[in-house]
Formats: sequence, C-alpha cells, structure tokens
Amino acid sequence: MIADLTDFRISSGPANARLARHSNVDTTSPHHTDHALMLAVRDGELDALGELFERHHGPLYGYLGKLTGDRLAAEDIVQTVFQRMLKYRHTYRDDGSFTAWMYHLARRCAADYFRKHNAAPAATDPADLQEYADARPNAGDEAGISDDHAFLHRALNRLDRDDREILLLSRFQELSFAEIAGILECSVGAAKVRAHRALRELRDVYFQLQKEKTT
Amino acid sequence: MNCVQARDRFAELLDQRLEGPVSGDIRTHLASCPACQREFASLRDTLDRLDALPAAKPGPRLRANFYAMLEDEKRSAAAAAPVAARRRPTPGANVWRWILSPLAAGGLLALGFVAGHYSPQRTAPVTIPATSSPDQATQQELADLRKKVDSMTQLVGYSLLQQQPAGERLKGVLAAQNLTQDDDQLITKLISTLALDSSTNVRLTALEALYQHADKEVVRAGVLASLTREQNPLVQVSMIDFLVAAKDREAAPTLQEMARSDKFDRSVRDAAKRALVQI
Ligand SMILES: [Zn+2]
Repeated sequence: MIADLTDFRISSGPANARLARHSNVDTTSPHHTDHALMLAVRDGELDALGELFERHHGPLYGYLGKLTGDRLAAEDIVQTVFQRMLKYRHTYRDDGSFTAWMYHLARRCAADYFRKHNAAPAATDPADLQEYADARPNAGDEAGISDDHAFLHRALNRLDRDDREILLLSRFQELSFAEIAGILECSVGAAKVRAHRALRELRDVYFQLQKEKTT
Repeated sequence: MNCVQARDRFAELLDQRLEGPVSGDIRTHLASCPACQREFASLRDTLDRLDALPAAKPGPRLRANFYAMLEDEKRSAAAAAPVAARRRPTPGANVWRWILSPLAAGGLLALGFVAGHYSPQRTAPVTIPATSSPDQATQQELADLRKKVDSMTQLVGYSLLQQQPAGERLKGVLAAQNLTQDDDQLITKLISTLALDSSTNVRLTALEALYQHADKEVVRAGVLASLTREQNPLVQVSMIDFLVAAKDREAAPTLQEMARSDKFDRSVRDAAKRALVQI
C-alpha cells in the first residue's frame, strides 16, 4: 500500500508547472493553490488540510456517492481519503497534482471498501434516489426529471465498477487524461478508449431502462 | 471516411478538454450520414444527462469527523515533535563515525596512526557537523569528543596493541561491566570493543553488554557506526537486531543501503529489510 502510494506518478501538465513551490503559506488565505496547501501540510502545517477539505470534500463525496451508490459508504471513504492524506503526507510530491493524488487515494479506498463488502453496489435504495433527485434545485416541479435521474442512477449502477469509475473520472474537467491514466494505472490511450466504451454502455443501459418503463 | 472510422473518433468530438479544431473529415461525414448523427446525438445526450445528475450532499457528520480527525493528528504530531527535535541534530553518530572512520578496515597501522598522530584539538573542528552552530551544546560535544578520543587511545593501547588473547579480552569486557562505575567510560569501552576487536566472540559479547544501555543515543549511534565497518554477517545481523530493539530510526538510511547492496550476505540484507519494517 505504501509502495503504491509513493509510486504514484503522473505527468505534470503545464498547469502544474505554474503552481507555487513554496509552502510557507498563510493557510487561511483562499488564494493558495491546492498544491501549495498540500505542500504546507506535508511540511507540518496540518491546518492547511482544512482548506483542502472545504474545497474538495463536496465533489469527492458526490463522485463516491455515484461510484458506490451508497451515501454512508461515500462518507466513510471521504473520511478515509483525508485520513490517508495526513498519514501519507510525506509522500506528496513537489511536482504533484493535488486533485489527481486525491482521486488516486479515493480509488484505493473505494477498492478497499468494495473488497470488504464484496459487492457490486447494492441495489439502489429508492429513498436514496429520491434524495438525489431532491438535491436538485426546483425538484418536484417536474416528476419527469427526477425519474430521469433515477433511471440514470440505476443505469450507472448496472455498469461494471471499472466502467463507472472511469466514466465518472473522465467527467472531471480539471483532471487531464494523463492524470486519469495515472490514477487508473493505464496508458492515456487505454483510458480514452475505456471511457468512451463506458459511455456507450451507459447509453445502451439507460435507453433500455427507458424502453422497459414505457412498455 | 466511413462510419466505423468516424465513430472511432467520436470520443474526441465529445471531449471538451481538446482545444483546436477537430479534423474536418468527421464533420463532413457527420453532415452527410444520418445514422452517425443519431449515434453521436445519443452519446452527447447521455453525457449531458450524466453531467446534469445532481450529486448528493454530505451530511454534517462528515465535516465534524474530519475536524476531529485533524485535531487528533495535530495532537499526536505535537507529541512527537519533541522527540524529533531531540533526535534531529544527532552529533552522536558523527562523533562515533569520526572516531571510527580513521580506523578503517582494522589493522594496527591505522590504530597506530590514531594513537600516535591524531590530535583531537587539531582535527575536531573539522568534524563538527555542518548543521550545528558553535553554541554551548557543540562546545560540550567537543569536550566529550576529546574525552572519548582519550579513552579510545587508552583502550587501543589496552586491548589491541598489547595483543592479548581473545579469552583475556572477553574477560576484560565482562569485568568492565562489573567494575566500571562510570557509564560513559563503560560505554566507550564496549563500543570500541564492538568496533575494533578482532574476535567475533568478543564483539558479540560487547554488543550483548550494550543492550542495557540501548536507551542512550550515543550507544545506538556507536552500534550504527560499528555496523558500517563490521565484516562478519553474524555480527552484522546481531547489530541490526540491536538497532531494531532500540527502535533506532536514525539507522534507516544505513539499513536501506544494506538491504539493497549485494556487498552484504543474503542473511544480512534480509535482516535489514525486516528491520526497516520494525523500527
Ligand atoms: Zn456514418
């Protein structure tokens, strides 16, 4: 596990090259890059992780909720991810990308979770789906939209876990495909092909579910 | 361009990360092929729905748990800090390395050189670790160093230059434990014996006697310094065991090197690897 973490490599894009390399930061300032904050954490300013948590736990939780189909599991995994950031802070690299690192850790933690629960995501609890639907502003206006969301959730959960994972990761515009490939430990070409295949699969399942509903 | 070729490249068309124009070939094909238009539209539609899928919001428990965990970690980091501070400028290891290094690979020639020509007054300043400032602690360190070198030459004179039989030297080690009141003097004797004695048996006995002083940094540093010049795998493994028992994290770089280097016996490399996990 430790080796996995320290071996994690991603090719830094030009965006990373611009990132601050100094970690003597005022961690209360909103203007620091994620990278600068994480370097500060690595150097012992643990409070800087609070700012990173505030910035990232929402999207990370949303991602894990969709990946696992289980809200409690998503909360546990987010907690574990930030715990590991602290524990393995010394392995964070000068030329790292914080977001890519975070999703790399999240992938490991989610894999642990799936191993323990030995599970494809549990059949989605309808109450969960309702909550997802309700989270949307103006929910309830059109029952059709929350229906749509429920179908899409169900379609997502029918995909292989790997397909769901790469598809969700590929929708994070702040992650480059090089970073996604780094997270998944495959080549950039393979990551692109797999993401597109997963999209076609999702489309097929989704429209199949729609068709079943109307007949 | 045919349909298969065009669809192979839909991923590029759908990926917003790509900047710049996508090849005109695909657009030309799409404009003229209703089947591919439908295929493309359905994928675009699915992606739009996926992006529009609202993410659930975490409950308040998550934030509370996170900050509780962060506070825990800060407390334990603060508790560990004094230990780190105590260990950081560890002149102990440097002192021993300095004392032992001129005695490279054993041999009376080197020992004679030390006893006869090394003047600590002349050489000591060179060996002050670059990271230390010449403060009071360093002055003290220097004084200790001189004392050690003095007792070192005494020991060399006593146990090696006189070429006593190993049995006598062994007795010397054992007797020293009982007779010597002064811990510092005893430790100096034991470590010097560990580093220099030609008998495996005597070196192992000295190491054994050092266990009860393993909590002292100067002892751990002495064993570590001796390890780097020890040739016998049996003694090497015993020294590694000692460092593990003493939980000497300063030994990690040396152990890492040993674990990797094929200069060392397999049993030694394995012991170093195990030790790295345990310290
Ligand atoms: Zn076509």
